[in-house]
Order: sequence, then C-alpha cells, then structure tokens
Amino acid sequence: MALDFSFTEEQEFFRQMVRDAVNRLIMPRVKELDEKEEFPWDLWKEFSALGYLGLRHDEKYGGMGTDTISQMIFYEELARGSCGFSMSATMQILMGTYFIARFGNENIKQRILVPAIKGEKIGTICFTEDQSGSDLGGARTLATKVDGGWRINGRKQWITNGPIADFATVMATVDPKLGLKGLNFYLVERKTENRDGFVPGQRLHKLGSRCSVTGELVLDNVFVPDENFLGEEIGKGVQYAGEILNEVRVMTGMNALAIAKEAMEDSKQYANNRIAFGNPISRYQLIREKFAKFWAWYETSRTFLYKCAWMIQNNIPCINDCMLAKYHSTEMCMYAVEEAMRIYGGNAFCSEYPVQRFWRDAKFLLYGGGTHEVLCDYLGRIYCKD
Amino acid sequence: MRAGGVSREWVYSFPPTPSLLTGSDSLEVMMEIYVLVKQVPDPEAIIKVKSDSELEIENKYFTNFFDEIAIEAGLKLREKFGGKVTVLTVDNKKVDALRRGIAMSADDAIQITDPALEGSDQFAIARALAAYLKDKPFDLILAGRQAMDDDSGIVGPAVAEVLGIPHVNTITGLEVNDPKKEVRVVREVEGGKEILSCPLPALFTCQKGLNNPRIPQVMNVMKAMKAQIKKVDLAALGLSAVDVGGQVVKIKVQKYLAPPKRPPVKMIKEDFPENVKALVKLLKEEAKVI
Amino acid sequence: MMSNEIWVFAEQQEGKVRKATFQLLSAGIEFSKKINQPVGVVLLGNNLQDAVKSLTPFADKIYLVDNPALISYTSDAYLIHMTPLIKEHQPSVLLGGATSTGKDLFPRLAMHLQTGYAPDCTGLTVEENGKLVVKRPLYGGKVFAEIAFSEARPQMATVRNNTFLVNENPKKSAQVISIPSHMDPAALKKKVVGLEKAAGTKLDITEAEIVVAAGRGIKAPENFKIMEELADALNASVGTTRATVDEGWRDLKDQIGKSGKNISAKLYMAFGISGAIHHILGIGTCKTVVAVDTDPNALIFNYADYGIVGDLFQIVPALTEELKKALAEK
Repeated sequence: MALDFSFTEEQEFFRQMVRDAVNRLIMPRVKELDEKEEFPWDLWKEFSALGYLGLRHDEKYGGMGTDTISQMIFYEELARGSCGFSMSATMQILMGTYFIARFGNENIKQRILVPAIKGEKIGTICFTEDQSGSDLGGARTLATKVDGGWRINGRKQWITNGPIADFATVMATVDPKLGLKGLNFYLVERKTENRDGFVPGQRLHKLGSRCSVTGELVLDNVFVPDENFLGEEIGKGVQYAGEILNEVRVMTGMNALAIAKEAMEDSKQYANNRIAFGNPISRYQLIREKFAKFWAWYETSRTFLYKCAWMIQNNIPCINDCMLAKYHSTEMCMYAVEEAMRIYGGNAFCSEYPVQRFWRDAKFLLYGGGTHEVLCDYLGRIYCKD
Repeated sequence: MRAGGVSREWVYSFPPTPSLLTGSDSLEVMMEIYVLVKQVPDPEAIIKVKSDSELEIENKYFTNFFDEIAIEAGLKLREKFGGKVTVLTVDNKKVDALRRGIAMSADDAIQITDPALEGSDQFAIARALAAYLKDKPFDLILAGRQAMDDDSGIVGPAVAEVLGIPHVNTITGLEVNDPKKEVRVVREVEGGKEILSCPLPALFTCQKGLNNPRIPQVMNVMKAMKAQIKKVDLAALGLSAVDVGGQVVKIKVQKYLAPPKRPPVKMIKEDFPENVKALVKLLKEEAKVI
Repeated sequence: MMSNEIWVFAEQQEGKVRKATFQLLSAGIEFSKKINQPVGVVLLGNNLQDAVKSLTPFADKIYLVDNPALISYTSDAYLIHMTPLIKEHQPSVLLGGATSTGKDLFPRLAMHLQTGYAPDCTGLTVEENGKLVVKRPLYGGKVFAEIAFSEARPQMATVRNNTFLVNENPKKSAQVISIPSHMDPAALKKKVVGLEKAAGTKLDITEAEIVVAAGRGIKAPENFKIMEELADALNASVGTTRATVDEGWRDLKDQIGKSGKNISAKLYMAFGISGAIHHILGIGTCKTVVAVDTDPNALIFNYADYGIVGDLFQIVPALTEELKKALAEK
C-alpha cells in the first residue's frame, strides 16, 4: 500500500497535547501579546518549562529529537495562537540553533545550545541587511581572518529576537566579489564586559507579530575566536543554509495554514451570527464562495505541506516541492485573511475583533525565506528548463 | 444549541485555588494511588441526533476534564509522600486518556478491555474496575466527579461500594498529613462547603477548583506516545460475560432527542409591576432556571 | 415481598425538609393516582418531629429513622439504614433530588441493590404497567435521552430541581413507621467535621450559573449598585458590555462579548443592552436569555427568550424584590 495520508495515533496524540498547551498558555493572552508589543518573558518561561524548545535537538543536550512530521505538527498548532510568539519560538527551535548544533564544538554546545533549549539564552539568525534580503549574495557584512579568529563588521536588519538575543548565527562574506560563494556563518554573542560581540541597534515597530521583538544588530569590528566559525569549509555557507531551507519553508507554510484556519473559523462564527437583510450573512452566495474557495485551497495546501514534511523525513530530495508548498500555502493564507476582512465588513477595521490581527500577522509570511517574486522567478525558470 | 465556535474559556479558566496540602514535608510514606479515567467527546465536538437510536458524534475526543483534576491530585500526593500513581480505564478502543495520564507523569497505565464489555453500563464498568482493584494495596482511588458524555457520576461511588471503602463526591479540597490516619476533604454542597474527615483507603471524586492540572512536559508527552499500555481482559479479572455487557444493563436508552430549540422571544406585555412578577414566574416555572 | 410503593428519599437539613423532596412527593402523588400505588417517604436524621409534620400531607407512609448518627448525611450511615429497609419492602420506584446528597447516595445504593439508576433527570413519568420512563441530558445538554428501566427493583432516579411543581393542596395523611436504629455514632468511619456557609463571593462571569449584565443604559457607574443587589438575590455574577468598560466604569474582566469573554450561563439577563453583534457572539450558548430595554426594536430581543420593554431603573429593583420572595420559598 503506497499512499497513506493518515497520521499515526502517536502523532494525533502529540498534536492534541500541543494544542492543549497552546490553548491553556497562549490563547488567553493573544490580544494582550499583540497590543503590548513587548517580548512576553513570563509566557516564555512557562513555555520553555514544557520542553518544546528542544524539539529538534539531540537528547544529549536536553532535546527530544522528534521526527520532521511531528515538528511540523508542532509548528502548525503553535501558530494558531499568537503568530508573534510562534515566530520567536520557532526561531529558537530551528534557525537560531541549527548551526550551533550542527557545527559548534562541544564547548559551544554546552555553553550555548544547552541553555538555549531550556529557554535561558535566546538565539537568532542574521541574513538580511539594508541592501540585501532575498539576494543573499548582496550581503556586505564582512568577515576578515585575523590571528586566532575573525573580525566581523556590518549591520543586520530584521532580526527576530534581535533586541533580546544572547547569541546569533551571523551570515557574513569573506569577499563581496565572490557573491554566494563568499558566504559563511559565524556564532556571535552579545557584547559584554568580558567578551566582544554584537550590540542591538534600532528596534523595529511592525505591523504584525508584534510580541516578537525585531530589530537591528550592529557588529562593530567584533572579534570572534576560530571555534565560532560555523562550518567545515570556507565559502560553503549557502550550501549549509540549504540544509534547513526546506524545513524553514514547510514551517512557514504551517504558520500560513494555522493563521488562515483561525481567520476563517473566526469569520465563520461571525457570518453565522451577523444578520443583514433578515438573514445571517452566511446564507448569501458571495459569502459562501469565499469559504468554499478557502476550504479547497486550505486542504490542498495542508496535504502538500505534509507531503513535503514526509519527504524531508525520508530524505527524498524536495527543494522545489517545499518552495511550491510554501508559495501555495502563503498565497492561500493571503486570500483567507483578505476575505476574512471582507466578511467582517466595516467591523474588520475595528481593533476589537481579531480578524485584523490575522491580516496583519499573515503579511510577513510573504517575505520570510525570500519574497514570492523571487521564488516565482526561480520556479518558473526551473519549470521551463529543458 | 449552537455547536461550533464556542470559546474554550469555560473549560480552561481555572479559579485561583490555594493548595490545601499542608502539614509536614515528605514523610516518604509511599502512597499507592489509582486514578480512574475516561475518554469522552471534546466539549466542542458536534453531537447530533441521527435517529431514535443513534447519535452522530464528531470524532474529537479528549480526556474527561474532571479526570485530569483527579490525576493532578494523585501526582501532587506522590510529590509529597512518594509512591506510585496508576491510571486506569475501561475502554475497548481509545487509550488517549491513559496516555494523557502518562504525559502528566503518571507511573503506569492499565486498559481493561474485552469484547464482552461492549454495551456495558456504568455499573458493569464499576464492577470491572473493582475486580481489578480488589487485590491491589491501594491507599487512595481518585476519579472525576462525572464523565462529560453521560454526565452520570455513577462509576466512582459504585466502585467504592463494591470495594467496601468510604467515598466522598465532588471534593474541592484534599488535605493529607499522614496517609495512615485520616484525611480531610472539602466538598461542595448547596449553600456552602462541607468538611469531612475520612480514613484511607477511600475513593474521592474530584471537582473543578481542587487544583490546576499541569500542562504535560514534552518529554513525558514523548514517553506517553511510545508507552506500551498494559491490557487486562475479563478473564484476568475473574469476571465473565454474564457480569458485564449489554445484556445485563439495568437502564437502556429508548430514544435520543434533540434539545429544545430556542423559540422566538416571548415579550411580556403586562404593565409594571405585573410584568416583573410574570417574569419571575416564567423563570421559575417555565424556564426553571431559578 | 414487592410492596409496589412509590418512595421518595427525603432530604433534610437541620430538621427542615428541602423543597426538592416536596416536589418529588407531589409528582409521586400524581403517579400514584395513575398506577394505584401508595406514596412512601424515607426520612433519616435526628429530631425530626417538624419534618414529619411537614411531610404528613404529602405521603401515605413515612418510614422514619431517627438517630443522632444521622444528623448529617454520610453515605455509610444512610446506606446501613436504607438498604435493609428497601430490601424488606422492595418499592417499585425510589426517587431523590439531584442534589449533592442524592448524587452521592443513589449510585452507591443502586450498585448495592443491583438495580437501575438514572441520574439528574429533567423529565419523569410512570407508565400504566408501573415502569418508569425518564428523560435526561447527555453531553452537557447537547442531546437528551429517554430511558427505560429493566425488571430490577426499585427503579431509581435522581431528579433535577424544579422539574416538578409542589402540590399546593396534597391532602394525604401519612402513617409514620418508625424504624429502630441502634447505630453508634462513634462507629462512623467518615465524619462531617464542619460546614462553611457560602460567603457570597461572586464567580467569574464565565463560570457563574447566572449572569446579569447592564450596558450603556445604566448611565453612571454608581448605578451598578442595583445590579449588584440583583446579583446577590440570584447568587449571580455581574457582567457588562464594552461601552461601560471603555468609560472606565467596569473592569475588563466583566466584559461580555467578542473582545471580552464568552459566557455559558444557565440564565443571562441583559438590561439596557442594545444587542450589537459583538455582544451577541458572547452569549450564544446561554440557556435562557432575558432582555430588558426601553427600545422595543432593540436587536437584543431577537436573541432572547423573554423580553420586557421597560426602564431598567424601574424593573431591576422590583425584580430583586420579587426574586428574593420567590427564592425564599425554598
């Protein structure tokens, strides 16, 4: 029997446990998290205590080493609550700690990874700069080899957890002229009295995911020792990043699924109760069409995303699939949140209702991991290649 | 009754409860505790009357909310005195309630299962549970105050009756200083709270307000996912098909009925003050809500 | 020996019989007319002279057990006395109130007697052949079930308050049958050591069984006093709408509505609340909704069970008085 689209009993149980934890810890606070625009330290502590931050990591360091599909189930359930909290948590679980776990020596793992899994040290990853986002090769943060280590200079933008991060995986180039082939990753910690490091720069005020604090990281001639070079060979940074890109894209897709679902479930309740011209508006065809379209595209997205998760888990090459799945699910989410705003009519404009928060939070999915314009250009080119 | 879109707040908004566990720390007396659990449809599951004899139940299940409180009470006592907490259920198909117990850090899980149990009523289930427990050296049996599907609250007291131990229903407070002596329990009654002293072994059914069940840590969730649940059948309990199952039920559902629909508003036309009197009368006698 | 009697388990507190018992006895009287079976009441406690007097018009027989050990309900003491009594007389039906006592005693008793028991019934009839048929809610009231009993006797059921009305003029004259009890109070394993009367602390609106709420129509924060008094009379919690919270008159925790809380009360009473959609979304699962507003076209009347077009300042205090009177009759 080749095709089996069901989750195992264990995975269903896991989903229920995560959902339950999100319902209890996060759901009651979502509005507050959005309004305060502050990192929720108390929630972070409670959440960390449950142990989910170690989802992907080795038991040796306090993690649980779950399979990819269970990880995706986790991301899907987590994002149902607060998108901002989900962004900070997934940064910690995935991008922020991947390189440390993969390339860090034992000393670094004990010093950084172990507390990160406990939630005691907050991590992040730095790609974007002022002049380069999707265009990784345009990065200008320079890493110069010196005796015993490296000197890094540059400013990184749009850093999730930036203002509060204790450590960061920084992408820097040894020579801008080399483009993608010059890129490498370095562990840089926050500057203290005893140690050189980055300094948080300007804080960004965002449209959505507001409880996830985002800002600039300034690297002013920062010295890092040799062991902080996260890689085996110089110039292979992009290749290493490629190792997690699939996961990151599917994870983004999971966020899209969750936000879209929440938005439409919320709109459903509204549509069933709001009376116009004597009937609940869910009786009218143009409203029903919105739900029908969403439903069709949502189910497709979800199946495709879990297929990608399955492919990753079984080491089946799936770079294009993951890109396609991310593209599809994010566009579906844009549709869902836009239509949700329309279903609410004028009330959508009011901050009393959650629908505007879904719309605001969802927008970022378009940019994370590369804009769709760049993605489509690439995918179209691949498709047409003979 | 509107089915979807209900806020979960009513389930999860626990009132602040001071822990009533006081007394000397860690006597290491080792308590053997059993918790009876059941898996029931999620409160948000859509349940409709399909025909006279059949219900359509959306496939969303979760551990009975009151049973979670019972598990938490058992775990708290284990933290204080040491010992073992075992979760126990009678169910031929679903074991998620047991897995939840393990996820909360219970030590062991037992599933009583047998084809002959199909169609059993609460008394037969109580009989099966009591048959399992009768030769175990338990100090305390905990259960939820009622299951959220049949809302009957029969199994707990019935098990206590078969085992010949005292029981107290709907406790909102539990104070254990020395498990070898008496414990104090607080239970809800109309107009207030009753405080009782009760010797162990005993059975208590737990009510909301007793504690805040812990959120399972992911390590224990993983353990629960992989756990091998011990199965026990009727033969192992020394029971046979004539003791349980559909043929020995004492009450039977004849018909399922949908809840009465909300009719159009009844405007009370009388003038003041007769309208107030009329309203009170309606609330008391027709709506029966006061 | 089958006595073919309809029995009611009487609940008393400090010698005063609870209203639920009278309600069930009244139902018993109706049933007894239908199937020609006498009505018996089982009364356990201590110093029960007044209780016996109040029960006499409602039954044909009073089975009385008077012992200091029975002064407060405990399952062991009551079971020890009731089981031989029931085994000896084998009544066809045994009813009790779905109270904390009834729900504690009946399941244990039914298990001991190996007989059928239906808890928390909202409807009950007896057929010509003496068989009991009850109606009770399942899944929290999402569906109801009609339940029939097997041949085992007695057929036991606990019944929700106010399912039956008290017969104003029962006209019976019970014969008192005193059952001797030699139980030593010291032999009780489980003891009641204290009773705390409720201090009237208000529950959160999401947990309260009854919620009363006022909106913009309350006009000023100090006017909420009349709502508090109404809530006291009903042992209810006070909720409100966004309008008053924005003005700073009430706390956000009491706000009902999409941006506040969803409530699921047994009884919800809205005063001076127009019924805008966001409020309606918060009360969807309340069982009974009462609305009072000066505007006969207020939207809230579309979502209520009972409505009064009136001024809340007139209605609320009057309602509080009426309720105090009605509830004192318990």
